Amino acid sequence: MTVTASPATSCCDEYAGMSRRGLIRGAALLGATATFGSAVVTTSARPAAASWGAPARGTLVLLSLRGAADGLNIVVPHGDPAYYAARPRINVPKDTLLERDDFFGLHPGLKALQPMWRSGKLAAIHATGMPAPNRSHFFAMEEIEDADPGSSARTGWLNRFLGLDSNTSPLQGMHVGGGVPPTSMYGPHQVMSARAASAVKLAGDDQYAVNDGRRRSLQKLWNRDMSLLGRNVRSSFAAIDAFEPVLGVAEGPRNGATYPRSDLGTALGEVARILRGNVGVEAVTVDQGDWDMHTDMGNMSWGRMKANVTELGDAIAAFFTDLGPLADNVTLVTLSEFGRRVKENSSWGTDHGYGNVMFVAGAGVKGGKYYGRWPGLQNSLDADLTVTTDYRSVLSEVLRRRFDTSTSAVFPGFQPEDVGFMA
Amino acid sequence: MTAAPRRRTLLAGVGAGTAAAAAGAVTAPAQAAGVRYTPASFTGVQLLPEAERHLVSRFSYGVTPALANQVRKAGGAQAWFERQLDPSGVADGTAAALEGWWPSLSYDAPKLWERSQGTLEGGWEVMQSYQRWLLMRRTYSQRQLAEVMTEFWENHFNVPVFGDGVFTFRKNYGDTIRARALGTFEDLLQAVTVHPAMGMFLDNAKSSKSAPNENLGRELLELHTVGRGVYDEDDVKSSARILTGYWVDMWRTWTASYRPEEHWTGRVQVMDFTDDNRDPDGRAVVRRYLSYLAKHPSTAARVARKLAVKFVSDTPSEALVSQLADVYLRNGTAIAPVLRALVASDEFKRSAGKKVRDPGEDLVATYRVLQMKVARPTASDSAVNAMLWQVSNLGQTPVSWPQPDGPPLTSEAWSSPSRILASFDTHYTLSGGWWPKKDVTYRPKSAWLPRKRMRFDMLVDYLSRMLLHRPSTAALLEACCLSVDLTPAEMIHADHGLVKWNMHRVLATVLDSPAHLTR
Repeated sequence: MTVTASPATSCCDEYAGMSRRGLIRGAALLGATATFGSAVVTTSARPAAASWGAPARGTLVLLSLRGAADGLNIVVPHGDPAYYAARPRINVPKDTLLERDDFFGLHPGLKALQPMWRSGKLAAIHATGMPAPNRSHFFAMEEIEDADPGSSARTGWLNRFLGLDSNTSPLQGMHVGGGVPPTSMYGPHQVMSARAASAVKLAGDDQYAVNDGRRRSLQKLWNRDMSLLGRNVRSSFAAIDAFEPVLGVAEGPRNGATYPRSDLGTALGEVARILRGNVGVEAVTVDQGDWDMHTDMGNMSWGRMKANVTELGDAIAAFFTDLGPLADNVTLVTLSEFGRRVKENSSWGTDHGYGNVMFVAGAGVKGGKYYGRWPGLQNSLDADLTVTTDYRSVLSEVLRRRFDTSTSAVFPGFQPEDVGFMA
Repeated sequence: MTAAPRRRTLLAGVGAGTAAAAAGAVTAPAQAAGVRYTPASFTGVQLLPEAERHLVSRFSYGVTPALANQVRKAGGAQAWFERQLDPSGVADGTAAALEGWWPSLSYDAPKLWERSQGTLEGGWEVMQSYQRWLLMRRTYSQRQLAEVMTEFWENHFNVPVFGDGVFTFRKNYGDTIRARALGTFEDLLQAVTVHPAMGMFLDNAKSSKSAPNENLGRELLELHTVGRGVYDEDDVKSSARILTGYWVDMWRTWTASYRPEEHWTGRVQVMDFTDDNRDPDGRAVVRRYLSYLAKHPSTAARVARKLAVKFVSDTPSEALVSQLADVYLRNGTAIAPVLRALVASDEFKRSAGKKVRDPGEDLVATYRVLQMKVARPTASDSAVNAMLWQVSNLGQTPVSWPQPDGPPLTSEAWSSPSRILASFDTHYTLSGGWWPKKDVTYRPKSAWLPRKRMRFDMLVDYLSRMLLHRPSTAALLEACCLSVDLTPAEMIHADHGLVKWNMHRVLATVLDSPAHLTR
């Protein structure tokens, strides 16, 4: 299915004409050509930016759970006796589970997601992961986000996805929050990143900058620099222009949403504001950290799992509430670099394992249901949750259904199976 | 074509004094056809030769006129480099005094814990002080190379400051590294692997005989020494077993001890290292194991590559890596000979300006070249406190990378649009001297005009020499002209609008140039 843009929203040409930057750049360009001839810097963003900011076909938000989340304690296989045998101290008791069916249930920290689950907007796919285990955080993150095991070229799967169409806008892909853009976004298609929407501006580019001097001086300095830094300086200017409608959107959540006061809550609040600006953002990456729970994962009354999983559920729920009607166009997927061992360790935690759970929420999801084939758990020192669904099948299904696109170039050489969680 | 004049008029009106003053007596468009941008040459600021600037730039946090003087006094960049390799011979009273700004940096673990339990000082506050102390040392220490290498090893053996309980031992961990930053890799590895801070971060401090925690055992192989591809999962298990016994009594007394009763005994094998490991006191086997790892050819290659990526380019040649690895092994893992070989290589000499400054390097270099004098903090919004927020805005605060691999060393990682816009913002704010304001002295605006009267092109050359330690180029001159709408021939004096109102725009333009964003 293809997502069509809402007719009520402004198109690129309209806002370019109305915004301050559009107006001034238009004027400056006219003046420049007339007055200064060929001496003038001609790297203006305007021609390229004209096609930028076109409404998004839809938006995919990739939420990475950094550190390898323990999926077995997030979506709990209470029907597998090995689960309770392997985790005498850190298990999630069956009677505390939410939305329990005869085999699975949600950690009680995900209470805020129950309305989405019940309205069919949230699905869980268990025993997902990479085709072969990789227990190193860093290499696994690299591998799962590069997602092209046959190639040594370092490009991320989201970057390849963004490169499929003719849209060159760097706003088509955005990393929101702290840190550096993840590997999934890395590659030849320019992408944007920002801590917050308000940071997407050029300091000093104000009404006192005579003759557009701030922009033009920087363009002069950088227009011959062919390094990645140089290319990104140039695309930053064009991106600022196309991004301007977002800054016209009032800050703060809508529709009664309350985000948790955390990095993830803050980042998703910024994402909602950015999507409201309707500047053509189709892929967003955000991170939640602190999932590497070798120690002190804890149980129902204390520990790191309880805190992190509650933050996760509260943040996702607030995000979709905040989006309001825009939620009909936004699909969020959670992904962690690998899962954790079945058996708990001596420090109230679990060590590096393999298979994991993925959540898919929002537009197009046939939710309220647990998907995937359960491989069965073993209670032995090194036992893993085996992977029965390649994570690329999950991602492919979202891309195919929401963007009406083939995924053969996004995941080269990979034949996705139909998991069935998308309408 | 009425658009341009209309806009210009409008802006002059809105900008009131500023725009008018900046334009000075010039009423015609400054960038009129036919203006030539030929760089002038200001002879009052002596520059190091290009190759020397490159060497000093890579092994310091920014070349200032003062540092260039020291280099000349030492007898040139190569001689300076040699002296810096032995930091004990370089007087550094200013940096030594900085520690006194934050009394808690000298407290032991039990005291820090006790204070954090009351309302005196949270652990995170102690760690922010530590981060600020590092930024200050990088800015003002005379032992620049030692600071650069301390940062390098702190990142290699990354223990992020905000890990649970880590604040109790983290300053001591940093001191442990600083004292060995130019010694041997083996000595460093022996000291950091069994350090309580490392033990807490990678869970070795709670590992036990009955269930050895694999976290440190794995990262020791994967990140700190040999790297992936030469060991398997059984090696990881042995590695974890060898390391059992180092204990920190976390959340109670905060004492670190060795507990033989928690040491896993029995035969171990990691790659070609084997040991019967019968003694319940496993410290000797740990020493043998770490010595084996330090001298492993894969460790040599890994350390060599990392140094080359940091100090040469993102993609060092295999030949250079292998040469440096060879030097490392032949010199008993000593670090200084590897650095000597690195700077002597043709590849290093060809690499000037090829590395993007990371957020910390950008901020510190900006403070240095703007000659900002930061004083002991007296309030929450003091400059040294603000420095940490500024570097956070750029994308990364010191020693806080959350994962054990440490922050990326590649240019690519620090070239994102968000980082670029944040850097431009920081340069602009500092050029204007708007923030921070407290406990900091900016160089007076008038001091940036070294003559009573001088042409604008001469002023730009002066600024280029002061801030970038290189002569101005035609592109920089034109950019500076564009930034304030002046021509190269404009005569600048103390009462000129540029000096009174718009010097920050020129300073920011110079700081936003490729030469300042790279090293």
